[in-house]
Amino acid sequence: MSPEALILTVLFIPLLTVMAIFVVKSIPDLREAATLMGAISLFGAVIWLVAGLGNGPVELVLGQAAPGLVFAFKLEPLGALFALVASGLWIINSFYSIGYMRGNRERNQTRFYICFALALFGAMGVAMAGNLFTLFVFYEVLTLSTYPLVAHKGDANAQRGAQIYLMTLLGTSIGLFLVAVVWTSSLGGSLDFVPGGLLAGKIGPVEASILLLLFAFGIGKAALMPFHFWLPNAMVAPTPVSALLHAVAVVKAGVFAILKVAIYIFGADLLSTTPATDWVLGVACFTIIVSSLIALTKDNLKARLAYSTIGQLAYVTAGAMLANEAGFLGGSMQIAAHAMGKITLFMCAGAIYVATGLTNISDMRGLGKRMPWVFGAFFVASLSIIGVPPLAGGWPKFQLLLGAFEGGHGYVAWVLLFSSLLNIAYLLPIPILGLMPPKGTPDPAPYKRPEGAPRFVVMAPVVTAAGTLVLFFLMGQIADFLAPAMGGI
Amino acid sequence: MTSHHVILRVVSKLLMPVIVVYAFYVQFHGDYGPGGGFQAGVILAVSVILYALVFGVPEALRAVPARFAASLAAIGLLLYAGVGVWAMLNGGAYLDYDFLVEDVPGGHKGQHLGILLIELGVLCTVSGSMLTIFYAFAGRVTEIRDEDW
Amino acid sequence: MLETIVSALPDLMVANAAPLLVVVPLILAGICVFTPNGRTAWGLTILGSVSSFLCALILLLQVGTYGVVSYHLGGFAPPLGIEFRVDGLNVLFLLLVTGMGVLAAVFSWPTVAAEIRVEKHRLFYAAHLICFTGLAGVAITGDAFNLFVFLEISSISTYVLVALGGTRDRRALPAAFNYLIMGTIGATFFVIGVGFLYAATGTLNMVDMAERLAVIDAGNRAVVAGFAFIMVGLGVKAAIWPLHQWLPNAYAYAPSFVTMFLSATATKVAIYAVVRFGFTVFAPEYTFETLNITYVFGPLAMIAMLVCSFQAVFQTDMRRMLAYSSVAQVGYMLLGIAIGTSAGLSAGLFHLVNHGLMKGALFMAVAGVVLTYQGTRISDFAGLGRAAPLTMTAFAIAGLSLIGMPLTAGFQSKWYLLQAMLDGGWGLAAVVVVASSFLAVIYMGRVLQAVFFQAPVNPRKIRREAPALLLIPLWGLTLATLYIGVQADWVIDLVQAAAQASFVPGGGIR
Repeated sequence: MSPEALILTVLFIPLLTVMAIFVVKSIPDLREAATLMGAISLFGAVIWLVAGLGNGPVELVLGQAAPGLVFAFKLEPLGALFALVASGLWIINSFYSIGYMRGNRERNQTRFYICFALALFGAMGVAMAGNLFTLFVFYEVLTLSTYPLVAHKGDANAQRGAQIYLMTLLGTSIGLFLVAVVWTSSLGGSLDFVPGGLLAGKIGPVEASILLLLFAFGIGKAALMPFHFWLPNAMVAPTPVSALLHAVAVVKAGVFAILKVAIYIFGADLLSTTPATDWVLGVACFTIIVSSLIALTKDNLKARLAYSTIGQLAYVTAGAMLANEAGFLGGSMQIAAHAMGKITLFMCAGAIYVATGLTNISDMRGLGKRMPWVFGAFFVASLSIIGVPPLAGGWPKFQLLLGAFEGGHGYVAWVLLFSSLLNIAYLLPIPILGLMPPKGTPDPAPYKRPEGAPRFVVMAPVVTAAGTLVLFFLMGQIADFLAPAMGGI
Repeated sequence: MTSHHVILRVVSKLLMPVIVVYAFYVQFHGDYGPGGGFQAGVILAVSVILYALVFGVPEALRAVPARFAASLAAIGLLLYAGVGVWAMLNGGAYLDYDFLVEDVPGGHKGQHLGILLIELGVLCTVSGSMLTIFYAFAGRVTEIRDEDW
Repeated sequence: MLETIVSALPDLMVANAAPLLVVVPLILAGICVFTPNGRTAWGLTILGSVSSFLCALILLLQVGTYGVVSYHLGGFAPPLGIEFRVDGLNVLFLLLVTGMGVLAAVFSWPTVAAEIRVEKHRLFYAAHLICFTGLAGVAITGDAFNLFVFLEISSISTYVLVALGGTRDRRALPAAFNYLIMGTIGATFFVIGVGFLYAATGTLNMVDMAERLAVIDAGNRAVVAGFAFIMVGLGVKAAIWPLHQWLPNAYAYAPSFVTMFLSATATKVAIYAVVRFGFTVFAPEYTFETLNITYVFGPLAMIAMLVCSFQAVFQTDMRRMLAYSSVAQVGYMLLGIAIGTSAGLSAGLFHLVNHGLMKGALFMAVAGVVLTYQGTRISDFAGLGRAAPLTMTAFAIAGLSLIGMPLTAGFQSKWYLLQAMLDGGWGLAAVVVVASSFLAVIYMGRVLQAVFFQAPVNPRKIRREAPALLLIPLWGLTLATLYIGVQADWVIDLVQAAAQASFVPGGGIR
């Protein structure tokens, strides 16, 4: 298959999956089989596509929506990484979803799987977008397709959370992101992603500053404070959805877009001479610290993880704003590393919920004895998030530190270190107290289901926890792979 | 009918044919002088309205039914538009009277016929509409009785 | 493809497309009065609108070939005779009005049968055809006074149509009366303005008027007064804030079909007249440089976009909400016009076309719900996503287009508007556009959430879709919205041609 055809295939597999799910919706086994088939074939197609990337970048122009608005796709290393992460984790998440949704006897499962596949369609589009317009379109597809997922339970609470989710993401994207995109096209003459920066040399510092702020806050999925509150509110969703939001697609699409804008629209040179870069960097650092502090105060496990995500995402934004190769590289690596770690944590939280119905951390002391695998996986993933080698999370932090010193932003290094300490404080007590409760702790609540968590639900986090270890050793290759995208510096 | 207002009834009976004749005078004189379908239509409608005022709406409705008035309006419209289309079918522009009938070059037969028919259409429509509006107001029954308010 | 369709039509029709576009529905309106029942009248209505639509297609082709099509009524040459004049600008509106007319006519029968008393069906369709005639006439005529006549034809029949909603809801009667007063004042202002221009130029033909205005001193009081009267008069018809007060009630209480047809055509045609006078009768230099209309229209448009979107958020009645949204959307179009550049005008016109499509679809879907569930409050829509998925999916797509989601028509036109704003250095206006879009997210989001995620007020076990007659045009519009969302080249071509035609003056005022 030619690379162009492969791009189309990658886009169409999720859509075909949607159709397949719709056709066989009345037979749950077939329906789930369709999801799995879709996920596996998508991953296969993405690997195939990425493997061929060595022969040069792949481009496909689908046609124009209107003069100046072109649907174009172009796979470059950064996008390839995101596509790989999203499609790979979709497989694991699908297994997990099947166990979770059945274990919890959720309703409207067909809608769930359909929207999930649509979200992946959006994520693939974002990953392969060849210009800012295409990226924006798929960004919105992702927003809209995940809205029903967040509102899945349908009760007042879920509706409220979903409403905040939708309003924040649509509001920021239409109110700020869209303006930034249109303005970019008006200033830059096109919307293409240009290595070295589309706007480089075309705009002055004032315009660049305003644009950068519009982008940084308009891409609400990157959850930069103060537009972070949708993420904790989206916690009402079922756990596989949280995993999708936090690890597979949604927030990753956000920080991915920020990286793309930083690298291909602004370019390192323009970025480092723009005053607002420092401000956004400051906001990112603020987000890192404050979200970690908030996470410390949360007793609800998913809420704590949500605030953890906000902080970890700000790493990527910070990396982008460092405006040098190490920063970009660290940010990109963080996408993959955090995805692997955070999906593990969420799946563990979901496993605990399916088995026992517990959501509060204080009730989980000693639970690890009954669920050793789950808590073991949680422990490993926590270490990865904290950044302990030899786990995946170590590399990006190292690169970011490098970038911070290289760019002369010494305070960022201190922020990173302090943040790691905070990570330890809010993450590690959970598995440690779970596995080794202090003496005299009452026994945790019994299983809600007699047989405990379903097999899929336990296996999936264990696999991804192992993944963090594997990813550590792959990071070097990933860095080599990404280098051309960060090049020219 | 009640027997009072005898003078009024007699006088209006006398006036009515005059009004109608005057309406047609205005109508046909419209070709050469001031006048035409609009004015004639109103005058024609006034004759019926006067009748309704003096003898009561039911009587007037017997003489000129509401359905007839409404149809008259539509007929006028069709006459007007039809003349235009007829000219068009004969190969001219819409409403180009010269194409209405065969004529010697430079003749004005078509113009005469055209303006006559058009004004007739206007007469029908105007008088029909006036009467319909009058009937609609005069013949209106209160759908909500006063004490129900 | 257009050529094949046109070549299959009779020569007589091709040669006389301009008058036939107006005359056929007019004649059929007369015939409607004599039809035995409403169903026949409905058939005639479809016939009339289809024939007009075909005429519009012919004109589109002819405008493409000759640039301007001029038809001399009665064989009297302009400027003395009345002229039907079609150029790139009004052919767009003719297509919009007649195209929406066809879809509206097809969809009308079920809702008319349900909402209008049976003995009035014939007359209802007659009034509708006359309204249609009037709107098409406004768009086609090249004579200022004739434009007034057609404007009144359409308005008076509209008052009747709105009042017929009284069968369902008595509040339609005061709404129609209100509209009658406001509309008459507007029309009067317009005709006074035309009178001033006639006094100043001695002509009523628009092209001739433009040429004569070009050599009149710019400070001429009669001309300035004429301009002001015309714009205010048309502003009422176009529901430009703050002259929009008639619109929410009229839309909310008129029969569903009337609301749908009017929202897609009536205000649009009035905006056409604004463009016609603002750009071609008066030269753009006069309108935008001498009179600085930008500083009148711009702020009004922005206020409309903010205030009326805000009001829409608090409505409990679906049709009132959509009506307020319409006023806000008129603001978008006006803003595009107010910039006074070709890019701005084409963006405004583009949004106008798109808004016609999506508002038409929204009101059609609402009509479907009125038909099946007899409710127009937003709470009545709760849970309908399950009960009527086809209707509501179309509704949702049109709603997303109204918000300006990518892959829908609304996004494209907002994009162009924003670009025109930013290119013209109108940063504030761009902010207002996005703020208003955000309000649209709130008011449409609220409805969509009720439709798809809330439990129905009273459980409706039976799935009740709107009838097929309604669904087909509804989905036609919805698919058109989506199609323009991914492939808008041809619409852009049309609106750009229209914008260019507006800048071809009959001359410029010194």
